[in-house]
Amino acid sequence: MVAAAPGVEIGLELRARLADLYCAYDDALNDGALERWPELFTETCIYKVIPRENFDQGYPVALIYCESRDMLMDRVVALRETALFAPRIARRITSGICVRAVGPDGLHLTASFAVFQTMTDQPSELFLCGRCQDRVVEDGGVLRFAERLCIYDSTIVPTSLVYPV
Amino acid sequence: MSAQPASATREWPDDGCSRVPNWIYTDPQIFARELERIFGAADWLYVCLEAEIPNPGDFKRSQLGNRDVVAVRGTDGAVNVLVNRCAHRSMQVCTASRGSAKEFVCPYHQWTYDLAGNLLGVPFRRGYRGQGGMPADFRTEDHGLQRLSTTQRNGVVFASFGAPNESLETYLGDSMRGYFDRVFDGRDLVVLGYMRQRIPSNWKLMFENIKDPYHASLLHVFLVTFGLFRLDQQSAVEMDETGRHAVLVSRRGAQEANEATAQMRAFKRDFALRDPRLLDPVREFPGDATVVLQTLWPNLIVQQQSNTLAMRQIVPLGPHSFDLAWTFFGYADDTPEMRQRRLRQANLMGPAGLVSLDDSEAMLLSQAGIDTNDDETCLVEMGGRTVGNEPHMVTETAIRGFYQHYRSVMEL
Ligand SMILES: [Fe+2]
Repeated sequence: MVAAAPGVEIGLELRARLADLYCAYDDALNDGALERWPELFTETCIYKVIPRENFDQGYPVALIYCESRDMLMDRVVALRETALFAPRIARRITSGICVRAVGPDGLHLTASFAVFQTMTDQPSELFLCGRCQDRVVEDGGVLRFAERLCIYDSTIVPTSLVYPV
Repeated sequence: MSAQPASATREWPDDGCSRVPNWIYTDPQIFARELERIFGAADWLYVCLEAEIPNPGDFKRSQLGNRDVVAVRGTDGAVNVLVNRCAHRSMQVCTASRGSAKEFVCPYHQWTYDLAGNLLGVPFRRGYRGQGGMPADFRTEDHGLQRLSTTQRNGVVFASFGAPNESLETYLGDSMRGYFDRVFDGRDLVVLGYMRQRIPSNWKLMFENIKDPYHASLLHVFLVTFGLFRLDQQSAVEMDETGRHAVLVSRRGAQEANEATAQMRAFKRDFALRDPRLLDPVREFPGDATVVLQTLWPNLIVQQQSNTLAMRQIVPLGPHSFDLAWTFFGYADDTPEMRQRRLRQANLMGPAGLVSLDDSEAMLLSQAGIDTNDDETCLVEMGGRTVGNEPHMVTETAIRGFYQHYRSVMEL
């Protein structure tokens, strides 16, 4: 379900297409299909995972700081081929998707997210939660993220952030 | 996991430091002794950067050992480091992680302190209508916030719980001071942001990791592949006279196969970045070193990896857990391009770093092995069994230097 803020007029068909995009995003990560993840972004996209304290105080440093779809692909290859990490399952859940504004540069949306993590032989735990601040555009007939900021609420990350949020 | 106390049965397995017993990573009594002798004594602990508190009243919380402190710039411009504990009932008087204040007021009973920690006022100190109040001999002068000895060098603030018998300069020693000043050369610093991670391992494993150049060529496929830090490159491991501080120094090499890379399963000749802006390092320091990682006893790593600069502060939480608090910074005179480069290269560092995440995961796995084998010992004899500077990376000499100092401080 995709909501719209008061005063924002968007049709049901567009809402349905946005719901599909957001679902495809969570699916790609939850299926462990990292290769599908960059496809949901435009070529010149911005993607960042940033602690809320940096975002609120205007500090630019982000845990993941990508300025193109190619950088997203590089991260996927690096994770697949170069990174060492203990096995884990990450499950991302999105809620409260809301179109905040419609501008010439695309649709501005926010949503809440939670990522649960399950390490081998350990109970599932809440890993990160926060909000996404997104800009979605029409790109060759499909909707893609031109910008996605994942702003997580805690200052502390448990051990390490392996998979994208 | 056994819970045996540190007692006479705890004996260091050799008379040097090429063997490290696993119980120093698990024993709560060892941890308690570390808090007292390493984090709570007269050593200089890293607190924050001056750039985080530029104006009078600006404050920043920091954690030194198990103590929470507030670094605040006083009205006179001096930096005060105050223990965040009301003299009355031990409540934290400062709850924000940073900000600006005119005074600190304890939320519980509104005892009020100035920016130097002096107790200014106690509500109803003289009672009400002749009843109650503090005893007549109560002196506000005796009940300020605990203020630590403090020193600064080129924008970096250090504090000590004791009365240090050495200046910071002597504490660092000549060669470590030189490496320190290479990054902190007196230019104004700009904070670019924070990262923080909680790692389920003993804090000493973090120091060992950054004192161990041997692992970098094997564990870090990303680093190795792009020649950012590899043992076939000209490099060095240096320490101060005590062994407590160290640097790893390296120079960038090419992504080409050779005799050394043949021993590195990690080396991937065919991995090319689709967006090479991620690795676009520019030389910015004198000399030809491209990486200098400095470990300063007992709670700081100064990271200069290509163009990423960061303070990594170690906050021990218990035998099995520590926080690693990263403060990324640049210089006030950075060009916009250099600023952008630092932010991009930060992708290699921190909890999601394409290099650093290997390390945090390695510490998690090390601690898991240690916890289930705390009667065993670790072997630290790559490059010999003694402590000394080396002009190469195939050595664990700086880990031995660390334990040489550790044993003497801890009397183990
Ligand atoms: Fe490492």
